[in-house]
Amino acid sequence: MTYSAPNTKTAESLNGAKMQKPGNIDIDKVSIIFGEGESTFIAVDRVSAHIESGEFVCILGPSGCGKSTLLNVIAGFEAPSEGAVRIDGRTVDGPGADRSMVFQTASLFPWKSVRGNVAFGPRMLGTSDSEAFEIADELLETVGLAAFADAKPQTLSGGMQQRVAIARALANRPNILLMDEPFGALDAQTRLMMQENLLKIWKDFNTTIVFVTHDIDEAIFLSDRIFVMSASPGRIVQELEVTLGRPRATDIVVDPAYAELKRSCMDTIRTESLRAFEQQMDRAK
Amino acid sequence: MTDQAETGADKGVARASARRRGEMLNRLALAGSIPFFFGLWELVSRSGIVNVVLFPPPSTVAAAIVEWTASGQLFIDFGMSVSRVVVGFLAGAVAGIVIGILTGRHQLISNLLGPVFQLLRPIPPIAFVPIVILWFGLGELGKYFLVFWGVFFTVWVSAHLGVQRVDERLIRAARVLGTPEKRMLSEVLFPGALPFIFVGLRTSVSISFYTLVAAELAGTFAGLAYRIDIAQQNLQMGQMLGGLVMLGLISAIADKLFSLLSTKVVWWT
Repeated sequence: MTYSAPNTKTAESLNGAKMQKPGNIDIDKVSIIFGEGESTFIAVDRVSAHIESGEFVCILGPSGCGKSTLLNVIAGFEAPSEGAVRIDGRTVDGPGADRSMVFQTASLFPWKSVRGNVAFGPRMLGTSDSEAFEIADELLETVGLAAFADAKPQTLSGGMQQRVAIARALANRPNILLMDEPFGALDAQTRLMMQENLLKIWKDFNTTIVFVTHDIDEAIFLSDRIFVMSASPGRIVQELEVTLGRPRATDIVVDPAYAELKRSCMDTIRTESLRAFEQQMDRAK
Repeated sequence: MTDQAETGADKGVARASARRRGEMLNRLALAGSIPFFFGLWELVSRSGIVNVVLFPPPSTVAAAIVEWTASGQLFIDFGMSVSRVVVGFLAGAVAGIVIGILTGRHQLISNLLGPVFQLLRPIPPIAFVPIVILWFGLGELGKYFLVFWGVFFTVWVSAHLGVQRVDERLIRAARVLGTPEKRMLSEVLFPGALPFIFVGLRTSVSISFYTLVAAELAGTFAGLAYRIDIAQQNLQMGQMLGGLVMLGLISAIADKLFSLLSTKVVWWT
């Protein structure tokens, strides 16, 4: 990358080798409670975790376990009912350009070209239009869509749209990239390709990535660590170190270590799903 | 179709030619629609079934329009009517968009103005004609006001709803990209609401022509609807129907132009 983004400049200019790299996330006893009285619903229950700068972490869990809600708290869209999230020691109190997010749907601005979408973030941070477009073109190159810079986003396929969304999220050179089941709506082949592409981008950009998914294979393939969450109440019930080497290729699935990790994840999820189910049955009685 | 069995191919050819015939017929119906209508009208008028004075044939109407044009009066009437529509429409559209965005965005302003607007909105602009004459006399201001009244509420509702219905996901995406609150309106909310606003604006184009008629019947000195009114007093049936034709023509052209404009402006929908 030939340009330096505003929010990494300080860290670089201080040029301290001892200086800690930005992008550390501290989740400190975070609870998120919806509703009041009778209809109280605990979406996330006293979750604590620490994510190192540059780490790739997956939050894995069934739908309704509060994993997206937790991600929204890190993003600053949702305020925790209890506890706090700190980014490099600073408590999150709203969205900020240091944390970017890729959503389940690409959510591109339909009135802007592909290039205009990617240039959006830098423009909002005060970069001149021409410079923002340069940044956009460079990123579109990275995600392999340079030829589509002038296209209307709605003319692209789902996978291509999501790549534009990733490029857009990276344009501000965020320290942290939050991803909320970004490949959930894609077909299996496209998803595999997107996962490999994402790992390459992660390596190049060196950002912290927190990736929410309900797909066990996806979680193992991508991450350094997996937080397995359970539903009602949403808790982290297991933390798994993914010891598989990198770079990873799709044939990793035949690795015995992979199979072992998958079995462990499945066990936890099965036990937790059963527990949640029984709990619901009890409540129904 | 090439690798089908012979009978199948024959059937395919037969089907294709039947489809072609159907298409030809459809196109013929489209091209013939208006000439057929005028032809039937001419025939009925001249047949003696109806009173030809009260129901003149299109040829008489055409003659009246030619005379109207030759006298130069048509251009004055046309200009006056169009200027009333344009001024009233623009004023109503701008006010409707601005206030619609404000009420759509701010609960306080919405609570303050919403109930009043909902109370005023159902009053047909035509009902205002007698009052407008007293307020503004027979001058242009009263005409502008009536068209404005017709346009404003429709555009207001569309802008209000449009701003509120901007995809929440786009707003989140913008916030996560560091969009300052003060740029949110111009960068996301306004373009997001624009397709809604354009639906409201297009409806308002027709409304402004309805209101124009009421405004001109209330008393003026020139205008397309006024010409119809005057012609009635002289029992110039040709001129009256000619006036209707001209009104229909310009409001159809205005609608067409507007739909062209809207495909240019909100090209992404």
